[in-house]
Amino acid sequence: MLPESQKLIEKKRLKSLPELERPLTVRLKFRKIGSLQYISHLDLQRTFNRVIVRACLPVWYTKGFNPHAKLVFSTPLSVGAQSVCEYLDIRIDREMSCEEIKERLNGELTNELFITDAYIPKNDFSEIAWASYDMEIYTDGADDEMAKNAQALLTSSPLMLVKRTKSGEKEVDIIPMISSVSVSFDDERQTLKIKCVLSASSTEYLNPEMLITALKQNLGVMSGDPALEWYTIMRTDLMKKDMSEFK
Amino acid sequence: MNKQISTILKSVSKPGRYSGGEYGQIIKDKSKVKARFAFCFPDTYEIGMSNLGVRILYGVLNKEEDVWCERVYDPWIDMQEKMREHGLPLCACESGDPISEFDMIGFTLQYEMSYTNVLNMLELAGLPLYAKDRDDSMPIIIGGGPCAYNAEPVADFFDLFNIGEGEEMLPELCRLYIKMKDEGRYTKQAYLHEAARTIEGIYVPSFYDVTYNDDGTINAYTPIYDDIPKQVKKRIMTDMDKAYFPDKVVMPYIETVHDRVMLEVYRGCIRGCRFCQAGMIYRPVREKTPEVLNEQAKCLYQATGYDEISLTSLSISDYTQLEELTDMLLEWTNDNMVSLSLPSLRVDSFTKELMDKIATVRSSSLTFAPEAGTQRLRDVINKNVKEDDLLRAVNVAFEAGKNTVKLYFMSGLPTETYEDLKGIADLASHVIDAYYQCPTRNKGKKPQVTISVSCFIPKPFTPFQWEAQDTMEMLAEKQEYLGSQITDRKIRYTHHDARVSRIEAVLARGDRRLAPALALACKEGFAFDAWDECFDYDKWLSVLERCGIDPAFYANRAFGLDEVLPWDIIDCGVSKEFFLRERAKAYGERTTPNCREQCSGCGANKMGGERTCCPKAKN
Ligand code: SF4
Repeated sequence: MLPESQKLIEKKRLKSLPELERPLTVRLKFRKIGSLQYISHLDLQRTFNRVIVRACLPVWYTKGFNPHAKLVFSTPLSVGAQSVCEYLDIRIDREMSCEEIKERLNGELTNELFITDAYIPKNDFSEIAWASYDMEIYTDGADDEMAKNAQALLTSSPLMLVKRTKSGEKEVDIIPMISSVSVSFDDERQTLKIKCVLSASSTEYLNPEMLITALKQNLGVMSGDPALEWYTIMRTDLMKKDMSEFK
Repeated sequence: MNKQISTILKSVSKPGRYSGGEYGQIIKDKSKVKARFAFCFPDTYEIGMSNLGVRILYGVLNKEEDVWCERVYDPWIDMQEKMREHGLPLCACESGDPISEFDMIGFTLQYEMSYTNVLNMLELAGLPLYAKDRDDSMPIIIGGGPCAYNAEPVADFFDLFNIGEGEEMLPELCRLYIKMKDEGRYTKQAYLHEAARTIEGIYVPSFYDVTYNDDGTINAYTPIYDDIPKQVKKRIMTDMDKAYFPDKVVMPYIETVHDRVMLEVYRGCIRGCRFCQAGMIYRPVREKTPEVLNEQAKCLYQATGYDEISLTSLSISDYTQLEELTDMLLEWTNDNMVSLSLPSLRVDSFTKELMDKIATVRSSSLTFAPEAGTQRLRDVINKNVKEDDLLRAVNVAFEAGKNTVKLYFMSGLPTETYEDLKGIADLASHVIDAYYQCPTRNKGKKPQVTISVSCFIPKPFTPFQWEAQDTMEMLAEKQEYLGSQITDRKIRYTHHDARVSRIEAVLARGDRRLAPALALACKEGFAFDAWDECFDYDKWLSVLERCGIDPAFYANRAFGLDEVLPWDIIDCGVSKEFFLRERAKAYGERTTPNCREQCSGCGANKMGGERTCCPKAKN
C-alpha cells in the first residue's frame, strides 16, 4: 500500500502516463468469502467505488454532470453465499499493467475480499450459463442414508419450488436447472457435501439457496437448533453454455 | 466468525451489521495485550459507525500498544431475539469475543434516549446492571460524551464517567489500570479511588453521597473521601492542531448515516443560543489552522475513498478562516471529483459566492434554523438572526433556481405566546412571497417550504436549565394552533412527538432516583427509544409510576434558582453566574453579543486553549 501522503502525488503522476486511444476494459476476478458473504451486492458496488479511488488507478470516468467510474459486475451472489469466482469489469484510460492494477487494489482490500486475477476479457458476461457450487451442511440426522435421499430428491423431476421472479412468485420445477449434482456424507466432519452445477444465465438463474430449501422442506434438513446447525455455500466457477471456461 | 452464528446471520435483517471484517479494523495479538477495551455505541451499527468521536477515540486507544480497543453496537431487535433464544452474549466486532470478558467497557452517551440501550447492552453482555453488583473480576464500565455532563439518571450503573474530551483521559485510565494490575494492587475500589484522585475529569458517582430535602429537591453532594475533587472539572484538548486525528478509519461495507469524510474544523461555538447545550459545554472555541485541516482532509480522503468532505462544527460559517480553508480544499477536491458540504450554515452567511463555490450547497435542499417565529422570541433565545437575513438567504437560493426550503423551529420556548407561533406561519408565507417576487426564479416550479417544529427541552448547563417544559396538553394545543394557522398548501408542517420530548426532558434533568425506573425499563425490554417504532410513551409512564416517580417533577417544574442541581457536581467551564445573567437577559428580551464581538465573561477562558476567541484568564 502506498503511504497515505503519497496518494495525491501519485494521482497527479497518473496523469503523465500514456493515454489510451479508447477506454480499455480490464476484468478483475475476486473472491468474496467469510464475513463478506453478508454484504449485499449494492454495498459491494459502493465498496468498490471507494476502493478504486484509494488504489489510485487511471480509471475512466463518465463525462457529464455527475462523473463516475463505470463498474460492471457479473451475476450477483445472494447474501449468505461465498465465492472464489466473482468478476468485475473496470475501464482505464491510461496505460497500466493488469498485474499492477491487481496489486494496487489488493493493497486496499482484505483477505476476505481479494483480487485473484486481472486480465483483458475474452468473453462477455452474457455468455455465462452455468455456475458450480460446493455446499456443506451440518445438520441433525446427517448420514449416508440422508445423502442418498438428497441425491435422489435433487435428480428426480419434477421438484416444485416457489421461485421469486420479477413478475411475482411462481412454482417451478428446478430439476431442469440443475446440470449435475452429487451428494455425499463426510464421515469425519459429520456433514453432507454437495457438488453441483446450476443455471446461472441472466434469463435462467437458480439460486443455490433453493437446494437448501428443497432439502429443508422434503428431508427435514436444518430444522433443529439454528445455533448448532449450519450450512455454507461456495461458488467455485462460472462456465459458458458448453461448460467451457469463462474468461 | 464461527459457523454457528452464520445460520443466525442468514436469518436477520442487514447481517452486515454484525459480520465485521471491515477494511481498516484493528486486530491485535491477544497474548500481547494487557487491557482490552470494548467501545460501545448504544445504537445501531449504521449510526455508531458514523460518529466522529468514536473514530477518534478508537484510534487514540489503539495507539497504545498494549491496549486493544474494539467496537460494539447494539444489535437490532430481530438479532437480540435470536441472541436471547440461543444464549449468545454481546460480542465485540473485531475479535467476536464476549465483552463481559473485557477489562473495560466504555459507552458514549450522545443522547438521553439511548440510556435504555446502554442497559440493554449490559444485559445482553450478561453483566449485572448496577455498578455495586459487579465485582473485581468484571469490566470497569465507563461513560463519556455530552450526556455525561448530567449522567445522574444512569450514575448507579456506571463505575466512572469521563467529563469532557476523552482523547487524553481514556489512555490515562488504561495506563493506570495496567500499572495497578502489573503491580498486583488492583481492586476495583482502589482503582476508582486512584483514578478519581489523580486523573482530572474523572467522576466516580459512588464516591459522592447524595441527600435530599423533604420537597424532593437535592440537599447536598458529599464526597466520601477528602482527597477527591468536590466538583469535577471537565477536560479539554487545548491545542486542536495537536489533538489526535484518525488518519486511518474503519470502512463500513454497509451503508451508514454519514458515508463521507468528516472534518472537525473547530470545537465550541461563539454564539450562545440560550437553549443549546452543545454551545455551552464545548466552550471555549478552539480552531484548527487551515493548513492542518487541509492535510487532514487529504489524508482522510486517501484513506477512505469517500467522494464527499463534510466540514463539521456547530456553526461552520463562524470559522475565521473558512475562505482560506475552502480555497485550499477546492484546489484538489474538484480535480478528484470530491464535493464539499457545509452542513451547519447560518442564514446570515449564506451568500452567492459561497453557493457558487460549494457544489453541495447548490444541489442539496436548503435548511435554515431560525428557531423562533418572531424577533422578540429570537431575542429571548439569543438566536441573532433577523427575518431580513433569512429572506436574503432564500432569495439567493431562489435566484439560483431552487424552489424548496426547510426551516427548523422550536415550540414551547420560555415566554412563548401564540403570537410567536403565528410568527412561524407568517415567516413561512413571507418565504413563499419572496419566491414569487424573485424575478429570476424557476418559473416552471412552485415553491415548497417545510417547517419542522421540535419541542423545547430544558437542558443542563444552559441558561434555560431551570425552565419548566410545557405540559403535554400545552404542547399539543400549540401544535394544533400552529397547524390551523397554516392554510397554504405550499407550506408543509411537521412536528416532533411531544411525548418523546417529555421523556427526554425527564432524563436530561433527572437525578439518581431515576435508576430503578431505568432498571425496570430494561427488565421490560425497552430498547431503541430514539426510534419512533420502538418508543412507547404509555409504557414509560407506567414504569415511572411503578417506581414512584412523577415525570412532572423533572420535566414540567421550574427548578429553583438557588436549588442544588443534580449536575452541580460537574464544572463544565461555564459559570452558573453566567447562566443566571443570561437567563435574566432572556426575560428582559435582551441579546448577548457573540464571543467574537465581545466576551461576556462566561468563565470558559479559564480552561485555556489555542486559537480561541477568549481573553486570557488572569491567574
Ligand atoms: S470567556 Fe468570553 S469569549 Fe470565551 S467563551 Fe466565555 S464569553 Fe465567550
